[in-house]
Amino acid sequence: MIDSLYVAWRYLSFNWGRSLTLIACVTLIALLPLSLEQLLDESERQLLARAESTPLVVGAKGSSLDLVMNSLYFGDTVPELLSMAAVDRVADTDLALPIPLYVRFKARGFPIVGTNLDYFDFRGLTIAEGRNLALLGECVLGAGVAEALQLGPGDTLLSSPETLFDLAGVYPLKMRVAGVLAPTHGADDVAVFVDLKTTWVIQGLVHGHQDLTAVTDPTLVMARSDGSVTATAKLAQYTEITPENLDSFHFHGSPADYPITAIIALPHDDKAAALLRGRYVGTDAADGLQQVVVPGSVIEGLLATIFRIKNVLDAVILVVGMATVLALILVFALSLRLRQGELQTIFKLGCGRATIARLLGAEILIILAASAVLTALLLVGVAQVDAALVRALFIR
Amino acid sequence: MIDIRGLQFAYPGSGFRLDIPSFRMQVGEKLAVIGPSGSGKTTLLNLVSGILTPGRGAVRVADTDIASLSDAGRRAFRIRQIGFVFQDFELLDYLDVLDNILHPYRITGALRLERTVRDRARQLAEGLGVGDKLRRHPGQLSQGEKQRVAICRALLPSPRLLLADEATGNLDPRNKGRILDLLFDSVDAHGATLLAVTHDHELLPRFDRVVDFAEFQADIRPDAQPGAAA
Amino acid sequence: MRQHSQPFGLTAIALVLMLCWAQAAFAEDKLRIYTVNYPLAYFAERIAGDLAEVSFPAPVDLDPAFWTPDAETIAAYQGADLILLNGADYAKWTAKASLPRSRTVDTSRAFRHAYIRTSDAVSHSHGPGGEHSHGGVAFTTWMDLDQAAQQAEAIAQAVTRRQPDAEAQIEGNLQSLQRELRQLDARITAITRTDPSRPLLASHPVYQYLARRYGLNLRSVMWEPEEVPSESQWSELEGMLKTHPAKWMIWEGEPAEKTVERLRALGVETAVFRPCANRPSTGDFLAVMTENARSLQRVFGQESTGP
Repeated sequence: MIDSLYVAWRYLSFNWGRSLTLIACVTLIALLPLSLEQLLDESERQLLARAESTPLVVGAKGSSLDLVMNSLYFGDTVPELLSMAAVDRVADTDLALPIPLYVRFKARGFPIVGTNLDYFDFRGLTIAEGRNLALLGECVLGAGVAEALQLGPGDTLLSSPETLFDLAGVYPLKMRVAGVLAPTHGADDVAVFVDLKTTWVIQGLVHGHQDLTAVTDPTLVMARSDGSVTATAKLAQYTEITPENLDSFHFHGSPADYPITAIIALPHDDKAAALLRGRYVGTDAADGLQQVVVPGSVIEGLLATIFRIKNVLDAVILVVGMATVLALILVFALSLRLRQGELQTIFKLGCGRATIARLLGAEILIILAASAVLTALLLVGVAQVDAALVRALFIR
Repeated sequence: MIDIRGLQFAYPGSGFRLDIPSFRMQVGEKLAVIGPSGSGKTTLLNLVSGILTPGRGAVRVADTDIASLSDAGRRAFRIRQIGFVFQDFELLDYLDVLDNILHPYRITGALRLERTVRDRARQLAEGLGVGDKLRRHPGQLSQGEKQRVAICRALLPSPRLLLADEATGNLDPRNKGRILDLLFDSVDAHGATLLAVTHDHELLPRFDRVVDFAEFQADIRPDAQPGAAA
Repeated sequence: MRQHSQPFGLTAIALVLMLCWAQAAFAEDKLRIYTVNYPLAYFAERIAGDLAEVSFPAPVDLDPAFWTPDAETIAAYQGADLILLNGADYAKWTAKASLPRSRTVDTSRAFRHAYIRTSDAVSHSHGPGGEHSHGGVAFTTWMDLDQAAQQAEAIAQAVTRRQPDAEAQIEGNLQSLQRELRQLDARITAITRTDPSRPLLASHPVYQYLARRYGLNLRSVMWEPEEVPSESQWSELEGMLKTHPAKWMIWEGEPAEKTVERLRALGVETAVFRPCANRPSTGDFLAVMTENARSLQRVFGQESTGP
């Protein structure tokens, strides 16, 4: 058998063009369904596991898929906004712990997730470098963000303006990196976490500036009366929060009106979960504007759709695969015909039919083995990027 | 070395028939077989080597009744005892010279490829003047060099009988003589017997005996002189 | 002599070491409670007892309402099992720090509708938002001892949630604390009821809840005990005295001698009523409040009759 393999190997490497083409064909036919399977497994893992670990999400009425995509996977589509009053509402029921989320802004392409410390406990996120959030204006980076941007504790990160010409609205905030999270192989790796209040700073709802009652520069003050001071546009609004100006930061308006995109609700038990869901099925004004979704159900629906598409793709690949196999058989048969002379020669020399079969079989074996190895290597390659691929393909 | 009596052979479905009442060769003899195309010269070689089996009659080569052997037995006998040199050289283009020479050892269980065999192959190649071209492929050799490699391949198993089918047919005039000399020298050196089919009449004088297939009815025996039968 | 004391000394050391180790080991089982002011720390200590280790890390000489802890201290708060907030916008730093909501308790949430809004904060406006006030809310909620009892209740509920096995013990501690608070509340009410319209002055606007609860006719200036008031501040006071003829001024701490004398010249005596937001140098919260009650007795012209 060694000799047959040796001779087969010599044949294949001499006709390397033909051999490589054959290997490529077989590899491709094997790789397509396998990598598709792998991609689907990964998407199931990423999407479903995370959805199932999140009991309930409260959001404004609208697309439940958008809500889940934004709050669980930090997708780009921002759902209708809620206010902090909704958080108090959940807290007051005593049925669940509310974790507010404000996922709207970005920093260098990565989503900024405004939340509170309970989120880290809920998702089991641990600090790998530095420390967790402590003060306004700090951020904690997911492992992937720190890697991509080469940032660590002590560095700064600028938030991105929402639109290019939004001069009076969202303006960039220079955030200080307090820490970096340990890798989780999920959506949390590619997020920039800040305290909820910091996202309000980015939005301009919370800001700091010189104390207007103490200001002496007349060009900064437009009007002054007994109870109020109106500033001019010249008043500089800080784009960075430091220990020195931290005290000047303050909230305008009522905190209950401040916006969030979703609330992750952690019910104390199943009965509490059912009761909480019941509170959002209603038609009076407050209820009608909000919804509570079970992320697991939403994602199962999404995956069912993906599965259906995959089945169609599998059928197509099967047909193409069969055609390829037929073509490969034809190629083999034709090359056998071309090699008639060689076969005659070795037959004359004294080679039996069994040995001839073994020689040809060895060639097929080497081709298949090489394809298998190449397929395996490519699958490993796919595995390296499938997490990113799933994000790019499914998470909007 | 070869003893054929009462041989009758016909290809199924064609009108061709070979009828050899008697044919003999001595050990160490160098015999040339001539005759018109289609007279069955190659068929004779195939029958002697066991590639074909006769319809009737006996074929004995080196005291072995070929026809009575099984298919596997004939093959084993063939690869051990008989060396082939073809007109078209029939080297494998995807193997280098050394692998070509060693090839018979890789295509049968009857021969075992050992270190000694490799050494002998190298020596053969040296002796036939292709020792420095062991890593080349047939595509990089001249006609003469190819035939030399073929002769090495034929001689490596130390066969007792060498069958040459138009061995010089594809060589230029200068190489014909040289290759034939090499063939004769190798046969002598190994104590083998040579049965050569050839069209080259100017080479005939070098052989010990010449057999004309056209005059096949005559009694073919070792003591007959070339051209003596009329 | 030596022969006896050596093994004795070694045993003593071993005992001490064992005690420390035992305490450390035992301490790991205790609830870690952090608070933003001293009254809450006192209540937590009374209520949780040996179930908890109560920390209030603000420096003693600072007003906790305006203290800003460093990142390390904030991390210590984050690591606590229970963080007790006062509510009513007390401790401005909590609004700008990240604390886990699940372990945070707003102890005055139950009476949040009763917060007193202060009108002396200057509002300002700029940009498209329009005019806003800085939401001035009075935050010394514990000065109303009934509210203090409610805050204690909230603490007890939070501790019980985390140590349900010790419910009875916690309830017992709460009852005992509330009893003492109510006794003091009744005593102060009795003192002030005698003359509800008596005009009084306060050196600093920290007595809003006290005034409301005990019906005090109180007006405040913004003076500090250590600082001698400026002339304009004196004029302001004199102007106030014309329409509000107070004979007593209550202070957060002992005022400067010169201030006392000058006040006396204006016919105003001084009394100290300590808000006790931070740890007192001697005694505890109830001791300080009891002393405060005695001060009020003098203000209302009553001789101290009780302890």
